[in-house]
Amino acid sequence: MKVKIIEREVLNPLADTEALEVEINPIPEKIDSISLVDNTKPNADVLLDTIRENLKFKNPINVRKPAGAPGTDEQIKQAQADLSILALGDCGSCTTWLILDAIKLEKQGTPTISVCSDIFAPFARELAESYGAGGLRIVEVEHPLAGQSRKSIENKGQKLINQIKSIID
Amino acid sequence: MAKKDTKKKGTEAPKVNENCGCLIDEFIVENSPDKERLCSIQEADFEVFTDPDAEKVSNEFYIKNQTDGLPIIPPTRSRVDKFLKYSDLKPEEIIAILPPKRGKTTLEKVAINAVMAGCLSNFMPVVQHAVKAVSQEKFNLPGINATTHPISICAIVNGPVSTELAINSGAGCLGPGNIANATIGRALRLSMINIAGAVPGIGDHATMGSPAKYSFCFAEAESESPWEPLHVEIGYKSDVSTVTMMAAEAPQNVNDHRSTKAEDLLDTIIHTAAVAGCNNSHVPGELLIIMGPEHAKTVYDDGWTKDDVKKYIHEKAIVPVELGDRGGRKLDEKWIIEGMVKITRSPEDVVLVVAGGPGRHSMVAPGFGTSSESVTLPLTLKDGTAAKSVDDFKKR
Repeated sequence: MKVKIIEREVLNPLADTEALEVEINPIPEKIDSISLVDNTKPNADVLLDTIRENLKFKNPINVRKPAGAPGTDEQIKQAQADLSILALGDCGSCTTWLILDAIKLEKQGTPTISVCSDIFAPFARELAESYGAGGLRIVEVEHPLAGQSRKSIENKGQKLINQIKSIID
Repeated sequence: MAKKDTKKKGTEAPKVNENCGCLIDEFIVENSPDKERLCSIQEADFEVFTDPDAEKVSNEFYIKNQTDGLPIIPPTRSRVDKFLKYSDLKPEEIIAILPPKRGKTTLEKVAINAVMAGCLSNFMPVVQHAVKAVSQEKFNLPGINATTHPISICAIVNGPVSTELAINSGAGCLGPGNIANATIGRALRLSMINIAGAVPGIGDHATMGSPAKYSFCFAEAESESPWEPLHVEIGYKSDVSTVTMMAAEAPQNVNDHRSTKAEDLLDTIIHTAAVAGCNNSHVPGELLIIMGPEHAKTVYDDGWTKDDVKKYIHEKAIVPVELGDRGGRKLDEKWIIEGMVKITRSPEDVVLVVAGGPGRHSMVAPGFGTSSESVTLPLTLKDGTAAKSVDDFKKR
């Protein structure tokens, strides 16, 4: 007599994910208006200053939004422009809300560039992918940014300039 | 597999094994040397089903980043089905979409993770509502799950269900020792890992994490409290069961054996809570106070209402600006008063509950600051009626 012992199957605890698709807006050849979104993370302002000074944008719109929470409707509206550059994703919650607010702007027709530290950029891309915005423009700056001298941040910011130029041009 | 002819003309049909079509008569031929097998067509004569080995399954799930590191109960179909009976929703019904992966949170996926956590099947209504609560926008789960901050998710159960499920509200209510407290919070955490994608280092970026991320669940000791319980304060009737989900740090103890006056005792609590390194010091928000019953009695006997306590803590829990303004988010000037910042925005931000056993201890746990609000959900059936018992959820 032959007895077969069958182990019962176990069910998969992982969830299916919701398929979304967000269209990423092309950056216009001529940029008449630009917004610089500072999420108040330490040194986000220094990075944006470096970008502002080097790229010589005329009359940029300066917006401040919370780091670990969504920007308000008013802040998002204020950031609508031909291009919006958002900084800074250098931790979990701030990267999350930088990317989700960038996606919100893209949905409203504003092309965006998000600045994330190289440590958090992979998560930023995965998150964007999960929200259907796999093509979201994300540029990387060397981690860490917080608790560093202004000079060191300006040096790191300089390396961003070429990345941003190559996207815009 | 071809079945044998099962009917003979003019005679009674011989008995046939329904699985393989073999004639029963053939099975019972005695002393036949070629009958070592009952049935030569089937791969085996008997199939015996066993539960999978828990150690093996735990290891397999662990390797795939699907656990919190502790062993799990294998989520077999029969176990999961028992849990699904404790909900009036269909297994495939989506109760939330959880970030960062935007996982479709079906009832069945919640049940699978609750089985893995070691829950009893009748804990399902609490787990189901807890998961739904954290998906509310104001809870800010995208931030809570991804943050480098060690924020955990605390579940506070109020109302009759806490007694029915014997959720510990007394001695040792923050653990260890009680299956409901230990596994309801764990089911939520496993749901975050597997459904939301909050895998440490991948979707959950906590710099160090926290022991409170394994499980942080307790019931309020309503009968021990001199004040109205949390759910009644929020506006529910006392016989409604609720689960309140709050993003909170691991609790910090407040040892006060000597105060005899409310003010003195509350000052000890305040000086434990008002610290520079919490989120609330630069983005004021909710503050959880779990007051031990003996402490609550001292304060109450001194004539203080719950409102008085909340107002006092709100006013006095302050940190100097130069210390508060070292957090990740720049301190907004609107929070600064004479060089100090209140760690709560209003008395309502002081989430005050009574729990614990004998002893002169309380606990404080700052929240995530301005970026997350607690969510209280009543345990309701699909049609909106409040459940009097977890058995009300059972599928008829």
